[in-house]
Amino acid sequence: MPPSQLKQLKASLRESGVLGPQQSKKQKRQNAKSGATAQNRIQRNAALQSIRERFNPFEIKAGGTRTKFDVTTRDGNSSTAASRARPGVTKSLGEEKRRQTLLREMEKRNKVGGILDRRFGEDDPTMTPEERVAERYARASQRKMRKESMFNLEGDDEEEEFTLTHKGQSLNDVNQEDFQEGDLGELEDASDSEAARKRKRVFTDDGEMEDIEDLEEGEDQPERKKSKQEVMKEVIAKSKLYKYERQKAKEDDDDLREELDKGLPDLFDMLRGVKPPPKPEPPKSDLASMNPDRAALLEGTAKGDTEKEYDQRLKQLTFDQRSKPTDRTKTEEEKAAEEAERLKKLEEERVRRMRGEEISGSEEGEEDEEDEEEGSEMSEDESIPDDAKAFGLHHFSDQTNTRPELGVEDEDDFIIDDDLVETRSDVSLSIGDSDEEVVSGEESEDENDEEEDELMNSLNFPGDNARKAPAGADAPEADEALAYTYACPKDHEEFLQIIKDVPMQDLPVVVQRIRALHHHRLHPDNKTKLGRFSRILIQHVAYMAGQPEHPPFAILENILRHVHSLAKSHPESVSQEFKARLREIAADRALSLQPSDLVILTGIATTFPTSDHFHAIATPAHLCLSRYLGQGAVNTLADFATGAYAASLVLQYQAASKRYMPEFINYVLNALCNLAPEEPKSSLGRFPSRSPEEPLRLKISKSMKSRKLQFWDVTGPESSPKAEEELKLSLINTFVSLLSTASDMWSDKSAFLEIFEQAQNVLRFLSKSCKGKLPSTVQDTLQSTLDKLDGHTSKARLSRRPLLLHDHRPLAIKTAIPKFEDTFNPDKHYDPNRERAEANRLKAEYKRERKGAMRELRKDANFIAREKLREKKERDTEYEKKYKRLVAEVQNEEGREANAYEKERRLRRGKH
Amino acid sequence: MPAPTVGATSSKKRKSLKESVVPSSKRRVVAEDDSADVMAEVSRLEEQIAESRKYYNNIAKLISMLNVDKNAVNPNLAVAVSLCRVFSRLIAGGDLTETNRAAENEKIIAAWLKERCREYQKALSAILRESDTSAKLTALTLCMRMINERATHMPGEDTQVWLSGLFKNIIEAVVEAGDDETLRSEFIEKFAKAYEDVRYYTFVQIADIAQTERSTETLSILISMLSACDAAPSPEHEFKTFYVKSSKKNKKLVSVNSHKKRAQDAWLAVLQNNISESQRKTLLRIMVHNIEPWFSRPELLMDFLTDSYNVGGATSLLALSGLFYLIQEKNLDYPQFYQKLYSLLDPDLLHSKHRSRFFRLMNTFLASTHLPAALIASFMKRLARLALTAPPAAIVVIVPFIYNLLKTHPTCTLMLHRVVRDEETKAELEAEGMDDPFDAEEPDPTRTNAIGSSLWEIHSLQHHYHPNVAAIARIISEQFTKQFYNLEDFLDYTYQGMVQAELGTEEKPMKRIPVIEYHIPKRIFTNRLLEEDGGVDTAPGSLVRGLWDFP
Repeated sequence: MPPSQLKQLKASLRESGVLGPQQSKKQKRQNAKSGATAQNRIQRNAALQSIRERFNPFEIKAGGTRTKFDVTTRDGNSSTAASRARPGVTKSLGEEKRRQTLLREMEKRNKVGGILDRRFGEDDPTMTPEERVAERYARASQRKMRKESMFNLEGDDEEEEFTLTHKGQSLNDVNQEDFQEGDLGELEDASDSEAARKRKRVFTDDGEMEDIEDLEEGEDQPERKKSKQEVMKEVIAKSKLYKYERQKAKEDDDDLREELDKGLPDLFDMLRGVKPPPKPEPPKSDLASMNPDRAALLEGTAKGDTEKEYDQRLKQLTFDQRSKPTDRTKTEEEKAAEEAERLKKLEEERVRRMRGEEISGSEEGEEDEEDEEEGSEMSEDESIPDDAKAFGLHHFSDQTNTRPELGVEDEDDFIIDDDLVETRSDVSLSIGDSDEEVVSGEESEDENDEEEDELMNSLNFPGDNARKAPAGADAPEADEALAYTYACPKDHEEFLQIIKDVPMQDLPVVVQRIRALHHHRLHPDNKTKLGRFSRILIQHVAYMAGQPEHPPFAILENILRHVHSLAKSHPESVSQEFKARLREIAADRALSLQPSDLVILTGIATTFPTSDHFHAIATPAHLCLSRYLGQGAVNTLADFATGAYAASLVLQYQAASKRYMPEFINYVLNALCNLAPEEPKSSLGRFPSRSPEEPLRLKISKSMKSRKLQFWDVTGPESSPKAEEELKLSLINTFVSLLSTASDMWSDKSAFLEIFEQAQNVLRFLSKSCKGKLPSTVQDTLQSTLDKLDGHTSKARLSRRPLLLHDHRPLAIKTAIPKFEDTFNPDKHYDPNRERAEANRLKAEYKRERKGAMRELRKDANFIAREKLREKKERDTEYEKKYKRLVAEVQNEEGREANAYEKERRLRRGKH
Repeated sequence: MPAPTVGATSSKKRKSLKESVVPSSKRRVVAEDDSADVMAEVSRLEEQIAESRKYYNNIAKLISMLNVDKNAVNPNLAVAVSLCRVFSRLIAGGDLTETNRAAENEKIIAAWLKERCREYQKALSAILRESDTSAKLTALTLCMRMINERATHMPGEDTQVWLSGLFKNIIEAVVEAGDDETLRSEFIEKFAKAYEDVRYYTFVQIADIAQTERSTETLSILISMLSACDAAPSPEHEFKTFYVKSSKKNKKLVSVNSHKKRAQDAWLAVLQNNISESQRKTLLRIMVHNIEPWFSRPELLMDFLTDSYNVGGATSLLALSGLFYLIQEKNLDYPQFYQKLYSLLDPDLLHSKHRSRFFRLMNTFLASTHLPAALIASFMKRLARLALTAPPAAIVVIVPFIYNLLKTHPTCTLMLHRVVRDEETKAELEAEGMDDPFDAEEPDPTRTNAIGSSLWEIHSLQHHYHPNVAAIARIISEQFTKQFYNLEDFLDYTYQGMVQAELGTEEKPMKRIPVIEYHIPKRIFTNRLLEEDGGVDTAPGSLVRGLWDFP
């Protein structure tokens, strides 16, 4: 059993030396002399404090929660610090703080105004009133001296306005000065004093403490006051000197700047890289050479103008590229090499598009966006994912009327080369509307405009007839009759009106002039105008090709090349128009192509890179052609001729990319079977056989000659049997040579054998059924094709290997092993999802803050209640006191009156 | 039959008769332009007959007024209607029944009336066959009314009426009406579809007609009539809507099975007749939905279906589903089913409009994982071969289909990935290359040695001109991570749909500006500036210029 509390207390007191044997008087005196007593007292107080704490178990709060085992928690030891909380101390701290803030507010509530006494030393109980007054006066006079601002040269005359007065008398004169504000000891000038005062308010106590110290020092050194005044004077003198120097430096700077301003126009000219204008110096040169601002001020002209001019020049400077050092003039070889490099780059890009490779860099962002878009669209459409959609296949629904998004795989390569589209760098700044701007802008044109120049070679000289449009080679000097200006047509009808009287041969000239007149640099609207014009040109090509009097192809070619060149600057409108034409073909005559359609499809072949993996124009054009080949009519020779042209076009489309077209093979083989002199006895291959309603077989005779096919054969041969037979023979010849080209093209396909086995069969059958009666040219073609096929076949057989498509790394089995954390802390959250972790963190913080705020508010409410109660009690006691006092007073009086009455009564009785 | 009952029914009949006569009299008013006195005469004669027996001779007079003696082109419909009323009344009154107990003169009268009645019916049939449309329709209504009266009130006669008498005439007339659609549709809509007993007897009559060989036109009429009849009744169906009230008592008419049997007989009779190719296709097309439900013994269709399946081409395709139904449900043993299926895969299949249908079915047929790998490999190889000449819409189906097959038959992945380990073979391969071991001519899919081959065809199609098709073909060389492709998503594509998917139906601003060829060609059609290239045309488009002249 531990000893009693009293015994413990005694023991601890003794231990700490508070209680000890009584000291002798001598010892006491000694201690007092050496100052040990004070030391001892401090020690004793500390010891007593600690003992008090030790013996009051309520001062220290044990940890709120039971501590866990040290082995399981990392921060088990640190919790001991938290467990040693002192609720009493914190509570009293909080109480004190509330008293400082909340109580003040409470007291101030519903009260307006009030005077804060911030005079020096007002709250300081250690100062006597005399000291206070003396100090205040000293500070005021000090302040008066320091008050001059840095640039105050004029002296004190201004200051008088700010001196405080009392009853019309300056306070400086009044000795008794006790209303001076307390912002002393500041170096800032008057304008800053307000802010400084505010700052000071916060640190009032500290400041005053310092002041007190100052004061004490001042008392120690009596001669200081005088030297201070001297110092002040010195300081003033110095500051005046500095001020003068600064002003002087400023003036020097101004002079220098003025001098520089004079040279500015020359500098402008030099920067612009143009010869200095020959214009002579104007007589009022000293005005012009000045800073524009200054000049304006001097002249008194409107300030806005000059500012504008200045701004303009500034802009000119910022936007001007020509301040770069110019490259040296390149030699011919270098130019050629550069051109070759450019072409090489373009070709590489084309090949990349052909392979359908992914786009790198900036394009990816767009793609992602589109993916998302597609995703959202899909989720709108249906909840079941469509497998086919992943490949860009869409069932076209008319209700939605929207063009389906392109599949992920297809929307590859739409890198728009800067070289192909019209560069915008030459859009002139149009700040200075001087002619030089435009000219120099034209100089900086890039190469494709040079190509364009071939078409537009008379751009600048509409009157120069000597240099003619390329197609106009056979055009007579009819140009003289042509107008030089034509309005840019708005639709095709208008264009037809314009060229109504123009002979066909001069059409290119007209087109060229319209283009030249509406060059996009001449007017901002011209861009849209030319865009419209390019669409009209395409319509016109289709229109001309559809005319019964067949227009010369030189003209068509020229117009198509114009279209191509316009396409570079207006890719959107040209593409839209081609698209519209394709749409028309697909809707109206997908299975019976017209000559105009063929011309348009040929135009597409040259205008767009048909080798692209996916191309918004070329791909549908492909589909149109293959659809015709796959399903088109095969009833007349004209049909076969159209088919032959379509087949040649298809091969041209694939000339670079060498992609396989099943419809081509089907069509050519079927056509050969149908044109052969005899009907094949059995099926020669896997191509579906379609035969015309009435047979179109070749009637063989040695006398016939094969000719090169004419484009207009697609409208059918002349109606003589000889012409028909001739056309048949030529068609056979063409088809055979097409097969030969195709075999070259697809020779590296792994299924070459399967593809061309049937072709071999058909060709053999053809040569057999003709029984050697074919004209030698056709026979030669046939034989050489057969030989070529044999060669390719044997090569294909040699190179054939079993497929090895699945050389993939085997897929890893999905594992569920948790990620191991090296320094795992159970208090930390290891959420791999960053956003979620962040959100959780915020949530926790919010919760914590909320809890804290609520606790504080509760405590505040308690405090307020307590304070109110206290006030009420105070009021009550006061009232009580007053009441009692009054009662006592009244009683007192009453008592006196009663006494008087008694006295009186006794007296009266006494009388009686 | 007790007299009061008869009276009651007859009065009821009369009432209903009057109601039903109203429309026909209206029609008469519209159609006929007779003078009022003829009308008065007819109504007078009719009233007299109703009044007393002694005026029975008026019946003969009325019949003669029908003027159908020579030809029934222009019959007097008012007379026909009033005669119908007269006979209905007489039949309901029991005047036409001969009872043994009746007096001799009664019998004579009854026999005479019967004779007149027969005459009247004959006249009606004549009208049905020969008159114009509106008259035919009236006659049809009258005939059916007569049948109703006779079947109701002449106890022994009902089956006779339906099977051999007037109804047979009606059906024959309807069938022989040729291209007159209205009569047929009127009959089917108003009677055959509306009343179950009429339908029942129609089946009987059609079976009867189709017993003998008929012309193609007749058969197509029969087919259309049969297929126009309602769907087969469910086993729990209760027959309620009868044209003749007494039919309820007939046990045959209230049983589902006998109905089905009649329909089955009728269909069988039609199927066994000499139907044309196109009719066969139509029949096969409606087989599953319209014909098979009527058959309580679908195996009877076996002959027809196997015959059709053996025809080849589109007919076989159409027979497939019916046949599959039989194999699945009725345990039909079709020994060379897969061989036949294999032979159906010909070049025209992928271009035919039944492509999707076929692929759906084939998907079911080849779904089993127990099929031999060799067989599956043959199908895949054959499909791959066909894909080489197929339109894009077909390739788009074939590739995922092959993918699914490969996924369910992993043995076949040898066709995609085959590592040659044997040194000797390897050397030989290096030296001589290889031929395709697949035998395309072999009809038996288990012996084609397709599993030793590779799918070079699909590999080549990875370079198809259409980007989407190429992308799909590429799935076979990627890792097979997807469980299977839903084939339904790939069916039903067409050129038109694909083109429209690319082009849209109307102009819209482009998302991306298409790339323009950077090089403007020197020439497109002509030989312009050829000398600059040294006279040899190698620029793009030289192929077309080499083959074609552009004047």
